[in-house]
Amino acid sequence: MKLLLFSALCVLLTYNTVVQAQTVSGKTKEQTLSIIKPNAVAANHIGEIIARFEKAGLKIAAIKMLTLDKKEAQDFYAEHNERPFFPDLIEFMTSGPIVVMVLQGDQAVAKNRELMGATDPSKAAKGTLRADFAESLTKNAVHGSDSSQSAEREIAFFFKTSGIANR
Amino acid sequence: MSKERTLSIIKPDAIGKNHIGGILSRFEEAGLKIVAAKMIHLSKDQAEGFYAVHKERPFFKDLVSFMITGPVLITVLEGANALQKNRDIMGATDPKKAAPGTIRADFAQSIDENAVHGSDSLENANIEIAYFFKPNEIVNRTR
Repeated sequence: MKLLLFSALCVLLTYNTVVQAQTVSGKTKEQTLSIIKPNAVAANHIGEIIARFEKAGLKIAAIKMLTLDKKEAQDFYAEHNERPFFPDLIEFMTSGPIVVMVLQGDQAVAKNRELMGATDPSKAAKGTLRADFAESLTKNAVHGSDSSQSAEREIAFFFKTSGIANR
Repeated sequence: MSKERTLSIIKPDAIGKNHIGGILSRFEEAGLKIVAAKMIHLSKDQAEGFYAVHKERPFFKDLVSFMITGPVLITVLEGANALQKNRDIMGATDPKKAAPGTIRADFAQSIDENAVHGSDSLENANIEIAYFFKPNEIVNRTR
């Protein structure tokens, strides 16, 4: 009986390892949402910002350019609607066109956050996007999803599955 | 000079080598503004339709097969003299003849896989822009 239980446990453990390995290999195609905000678009930094992503091994899988209206911006940032900075954020995000992208690659969410640097540009590490391209805490050049759950929601907010390239 | 628009395509070879940012920077540094962008993996029909003017040319079949090997990034560029400026930045169609510092000299490998497309006349620019973008997909760049 003990032997049987032991074998069952071994099978179960083996199975778990296989499942985990698949999850890990699935991560090589992790996706995150990136937005180049109105101040960085206006300063013509689109190419330079995209080049940072590509040099870090992230691939662009979708891109579009649009000017958000007030309702779209409020919906996108709905989770912040009680925060004191919300009205300023919405006003800024609707002030001009933005570039919205899906970035794809190993650890895309975390890698993008590292490249962006701290939300407050005065605290962002040297060589990060915000240290180099942000003007202030509000006009901070880029947005990036903060978790893979947010990434999924944010990508679906802007792109149909058919609009995302297979890289 | 009033604002002029032209169509630019970053072709599958340059996308595959992750040169999107590098190429878009060249446009922006030259004072061209990006006013529309999309990434598509063209179907054979879309590629043939886009290059319909070249239908009778010997290179047509190879061009279409190349253009559907992977996704492309299509942009509308806007600015004074945008059409000619884009052509200057791209360099000669054959990368071997392209001047140093042009996109084709720096990013293209052959006359077939030559990294970028740019409209060759204002008339074609209008046709090509309309082929890929609805008017509401092009933003108004006031700054």
